[in-house]
Amino acid sequence: MIKNIYSFILKRYIVITPLLLVLIVAQREEYSQLTTSGTFGSAIRLAIPIMLAGLGGLFSEKTGVVNIGLEGMMIMGTWFGAWGGFTYGAWQGVFIGMLGGALFGLIHAIATVSFQVDHIVSGVAINILAAGVARFLNVISFEDVAYASSTASPRITGEIGKMTVPFLAGGPINDEETFNLFGSIENLDIFLISDFAGFILGFLSNISYLTIFALAIVPFSLIILWHTPIGLQMRSVGEYPTGSESLGVNVYLMKYIGVTISGALSGLAGAYLVVGGTGIYLEGQTGGRGFIGLASMLFGNYKPFGILMGSGLFGFADALQLRSPQAVHGLLIVISIFLFVLVLKTLFEKKYTQSLISLLFSGAFLIWFLNSTTIPNQFVYFTPHITTLIVLSFANQRIKLPEKIGVPYKKGELN
Amino acid sequence: MTRMKSKWLVLFIVFGLILTACGGGSDDAAEEEVVAEEPAEELDSPATTAAAAEPVADPPSICLVLDIGGLGDLAFNDLAYSGYEKAIEDFGMVGTFLEPDGGGENRGELLELCAEAGNDLIVGNGFLFDAAMNEVAPSYPDINFAITDGVAEPGNVRGMLFKHAEGSFLAGVAAALKTTTNNVGFIGGVDFPLIHEFEQGYLAGVAAINPDITVQIGYASVPPDFSGFNDPVKGKEIALAQYEAGADIIYHAAGGTGTGMFEAAKEVSEATGTKVWGIGVDFDQYYTVGNPLPELQEYILTSMVKAADVSIYNAAKATVEGTFTGGPSVDDLSTGGIYLSYSGGYIDDIKDTLEEYKEKIISGEIVPPSVRP
Repeated sequence: MIKNIYSFILKRYIVITPLLLVLIVAQREEYSQLTTSGTFGSAIRLAIPIMLAGLGGLFSEKTGVVNIGLEGMMIMGTWFGAWGGFTYGAWQGVFIGMLGGALFGLIHAIATVSFQVDHIVSGVAINILAAGVARFLNVISFEDVAYASSTASPRITGEIGKMTVPFLAGGPINDEETFNLFGSIENLDIFLISDFAGFILGFLSNISYLTIFALAIVPFSLIILWHTPIGLQMRSVGEYPTGSESLGVNVYLMKYIGVTISGALSGLAGAYLVVGGTGIYLEGQTGGRGFIGLASMLFGNYKPFGILMGSGLFGFADALQLRSPQAVHGLLIVISIFLFVLVLKTLFEKKYTQSLISLLFSGAFLIWFLNSTTIPNQFVYFTPHITTLIVLSFANQRIKLPEKIGVPYKKGELN
Repeated sequence: MTRMKSKWLVLFIVFGLILTACGGGSDDAAEEEVVAEEPAEELDSPATTAAAAEPVADPPSICLVLDIGGLGDLAFNDLAYSGYEKAIEDFGMVGTFLEPDGGGENRGELLELCAEAGNDLIVGNGFLFDAAMNEVAPSYPDINFAITDGVAEPGNVRGMLFKHAEGSFLAGVAAALKTTTNNVGFIGGVDFPLIHEFEQGYLAGVAAINPDITVQIGYASVPPDFSGFNDPVKGKEIALAQYEAGADIIYHAAGGTGTGMFEAAKEVSEATGTKVWGIGVDFDQYYTVGNPLPELQEYILTSMVKAADVSIYNAAKATVEGTFTGGPSVDDLSTGGIYLSYSGGYIDDIKDTLEEYKEKIISGEIVPPSVRP
């Protein structure tokens, strides 16, 4: 067990080092927003849609089907989520949103699996199609409904409850306040412990049941894909379809299942935006989150918990720039020191050019940090994207793609 | 097999494109409204001075092109639409309204579309139309154009400007008088000069009452990304952060993003037991947000109303009467194009002070800043 953790740290130092650095920087008063429970709570809410899209991508790509149609399936999730939510209620909206996404997943599966259409082409078509279909459906469904328009739906009926855990986070029991353990720890301002308490508190207080449901999908995906016979079959289809078929696996069926689940999860991501947000479908509301989900899947190296971390990182950076542009300035020194760690690592591995480049950038960030007190708003706004890009560029050397990804498979042919 | 494959592919894509086209097109057709066929007396009216090519018998026509966010943002676009509807009703105009696609790249095409259809007045709702106006308007010298919040060079374009800083100053005064924590907030949709007018006016208003009040400022996006006017999720997160940091009143100038701020106000009020407020913008949001979302109504302290609907109505009136003039026209506190709403009665107790400051601004004693120092 301890050995496992140790090797995990070694493998994931690229995530763990910056985290530690952030914790240290957060001790300064002006950067304290880096680790408050509010920031973490916000990060979770912003990360969930991306995470769900990433998990959607995982299910599809593990069966060998590239899915850049995640965005489109997410759009269907937003519209069907809003429609279902308006017609039947919040939770029903969530499941109808999933069905809407699954429907488009199925279309993608029919195109790519049964008709061997190029996966990218089909994905792009899905994205275009979904944008049009959503607007079309919105216009015809809500034509006579008050407060709806061609680009916005009326508000959904009902809402999904929220909870705060009693005792640990001060949630009420029978309307009576209870002790707020982690909240008190956070307020004590002890190095590391208070920051960690803030992190936990973000997960425990004021959290929507829908968020819990979404987070539960992470271990669930892991179990399905890696610990069940059907998961094994799904993965084998992505790695070596001919071999799988020779062993009696129904390759087409597995791919269909994978891509449809992918659509359902993207649909859930869309429904989360609507139902977990302000309860209204707005055109263009997904804002490229599906593509970022795809990036988080690569970041997570096709592992559910990796995807959780990747999307969490993006959500965290997004929350930070929204909440405290000041704290983003603190990230400069984090990047600088992290690059210096890389300098040492590459020196150790005798990669001198890389080492030199890292050193130069490390110095540049250090100078920038020391000579400024704020960051221009333009940079602040792009923090999540830049952070993801930087991390991805360090992480991508070790990505293990499924062997036969994007390769059309025809039954009975050697592939 | 390959032939079959490509056939399906083509079919699939064509289907997609058709549906996309339907999505965009159907509402254009559906939303075209002919309200009243005006009878003969309209013939003598100088209504059609502008459109020489039009047969004289046609009723005057108006075309409104909305901006990103479209109808239903409960703010800027809905406001323009209400002015447009009123004009149709009062002057018996034929109206068409169009909404740009998600990114708003087709503004020019939509204006062109309106112009080719021979409308008498074409309104581009939002300063982002300025480039498109410069391109389209000169080709149609007989058509009247109007643009809200901006100016354009051609002589047949009316620039309908507002002194946002004056209204925002009053919003700042109200916030400063009402805050109990000496900490207030501001949320801008997009970080660029137009929204800086709101920000600077607000800051000056707060400082006029009490310079020691902390003002937290947040923006949802920066140019060229204008999604910050249509992202309630971000609006909510920014507002939550500001309320958590001690603000009890937040003023937004962020279009549809502001709905998220009112949501946050409700959430924070319920969670902490202390009431926090939001100040609306453009419209009297006590009604525009409060009617579809009644549970948010009690958190809307006031709204900085800018009567773009009146400006559009006036432009339509001028077109009908043949008195339309191009060039900039400015609305401010003195013309009534900008004012602070008292709906809900939450700021009735400070009305005297507000009126006092309003007079000072009108008389020129106070000039609220509209650009960042």
